[in-house]
Amino acid sequence: MPVRRVLPQMVLLLLLAGYTAFAAGPFLWTAVMSLRTTSEIMADPYALPSVLHWQKFPDAWISSNYATYFKNSAWVSAVCVVFLSLFGAMAAHCLARYRFPGNRVIFFLIFSTIILPPQITVIGLFQILASYGLIDTHTGLILVYIAMQLPLTIYILESFFARIPQELYDAARMDGYSDFEIFWRITLPIGMPAIATSAILNIIYIWNEFLYAVVLLTSDDKRTLPLGIQRFLGDQLEDIGMLSTGLMIAVIPIIVVYVLFSEKMIQGMTAGAVK
Amino acid sequence: MAVVELSSVCKAYEGGRGFAVRDVNLRVEHGEFMVLLGPSGCGKSTTLRMIAGLEKITSGTLSIDGQAMNNVAAKDRDIAMVFQSYALYPHMTVRDNLAFGLRRRGTDKAEIERRVTRVAATLGLSDLLGRKPFALSGGQRQRVALGRAIVREPKVFLFDEPLSNLDTALRSSTRNELVRQHRALAATMIYVTHDQVEAMTMGQRICIINEGRVVQIGVPLEVYRNPANTFVAGFLGNPPMNLLAAELHFEGGLQVQLGDVRLPLPRYRTDGLAAWVGRSVTLGIRPEDLHAPGELPEGQKRVASLRAVVSVVESLGAETILNVYRDGIPRLEFSARVGRGTVCRPQDTIDLAIDLEALHLFDSATGAAIGELQPH
Repeated sequence: MPVRRVLPQMVLLLLLAGYTAFAAGPFLWTAVMSLRTTSEIMADPYALPSVLHWQKFPDAWISSNYATYFKNSAWVSAVCVVFLSLFGAMAAHCLARYRFPGNRVIFFLIFSTIILPPQITVIGLFQILASYGLIDTHTGLILVYIAMQLPLTIYILESFFARIPQELYDAARMDGYSDFEIFWRITLPIGMPAIATSAILNIIYIWNEFLYAVVLLTSDDKRTLPLGIQRFLGDQLEDIGMLSTGLMIAVIPIIVVYVLFSEKMIQGMTAGAVK
Repeated sequence: MAVVELSSVCKAYEGGRGFAVRDVNLRVEHGEFMVLLGPSGCGKSTTLRMIAGLEKITSGTLSIDGQAMNNVAAKDRDIAMVFQSYALYPHMTVRDNLAFGLRRRGTDKAEIERRVTRVAATLGLSDLLGRKPFALSGGQRQRVALGRAIVREPKVFLFDEPLSNLDTALRSSTRNELVRQHRALAATMIYVTHDQVEAMTMGQRICIINEGRVVQIGVPLEVYRNPANTFVAGFLGNPPMNLLAAELHFEGGLQVQLGDVRLPLPRYRTDGLAAWVGRSVTLGIRPEDLHAPGELPEGQKRVASLRAVVSVVESLGAETILNVYRDGIPRLEFSARVGRGTVCRPQDTIDLAIDLEALHLFDSATGAAIGELQPH
């Protein structure tokens, strides 16, 4: 193969290898540390494990209350994703399909809220939830997450739904289906790749979210995984080994979700890019 | 079967400039195959969508079998529509696509199965019932879309350019299939297209629309032979009718001055054109009414010769299209459809025979056809 053709490929390969190392390196390092004790890590942070301490995983799960945190995170994430997908899809369907005065203004107003950083909204939300007695409840946290993620969800779904041919809706109308039935039987099934995309992004965000959880939850039995991981960071001692184990436990569901749904996610993100 | 009638129907979109459809009056008879024909953006699809109930009617009345439909929902009009993109539900199998409308109407399961099976057999879809639309060819999708309409057994069928996504060969066979289905179902069908071949071959009558208005309604060949104005004359026919500036004279009979040539007009009654004598008119000549030497049909006597220079030769196999010109004031440029046996090259001089019985006259200001034809 001529050098002129090989050279650009080599450069591209090097760039991709560098990026992969940059992205996957910290993850692999944490994975290695999750199987080492804190004293081993302190002695040599970058060494490979001489003994694989698999026992650290059940220890973290049972003795550090990880089972509760995991269950809480799973519950909060699942409820949020179900409602976000449903409400987001309904709103996106209306904004994408129906011509009514103010359609784009409403869409812009909803979407513009994503520019507000959480640090600004957290105090106001705390006061609102306190006045409704929702502090230190999963219901309160779920409501906040839904409110925070709904604009992005609507944005993703609206752009996908708008590309569904109008004729499908016209055909369903002529077949006698109501607006809600059309949403339920046409938009939702056809929009599944986009819904999967938004669901994955929402799961990742909610699963990892720390700020709202730390402000709005106080009881240990209500805490989510990111707060549980924080417990390993003490004032006097940082249990890096267990922290890494906790991180790996926390990240496994995300990897599973990604592996299972990545194809749908790519479909959702690239829909319309090619005919 | 049903009679569909539009009376002074108009459509204006919110925020749109003016009317998309203006004052459309049209009656489609029981079991008739009516084609709405016009260029893109002329309002034919909007008219169809108003009949379907997918667009609100701004003013005027739509009735089916004498019953006003303006405020009746699309689902209650008992109309089925075949769309340009077929609009098959991509997440459903062919069987589910066919049955979708019937399920909503609460049709008995056994009846749905019976109808789906029958329609699938009629359209050659029996082996495809388990497939999803993405696994079908364009022609198969088109048949599923047609089947979805047929299976509902509606009063009226609407077609919105259903063949435009098919290749030429498939389009031709599907045209025949649609005509066959129309005969078999004997249903009222309204078909929208911008393709004049579809209109001429399928329609029992055609309704030509331009800029939101109905320009002419009639039997295809009648419309072709007697276009109501220069738009219809130019729109129907490929190549279109030659429209040339001319002047009307009367010297022992009606004559038209075309450049430096004067042609008699035996087709027209004198009294109908008395007011136009001495005025500018537009002369229409169909390319097939200009004959190459030796190609004049037997018995054709009322002809005149016109010498012209060939500028472009388009050999299409079965026939040849000549673009010719004749210098003078004004310079005349027109096209002629001649037989494949005519051999000529650019810059050759050719004596074309004009069929004087086939000349058309139009008002050069409004474009409307003028004059009365002699009785045959």
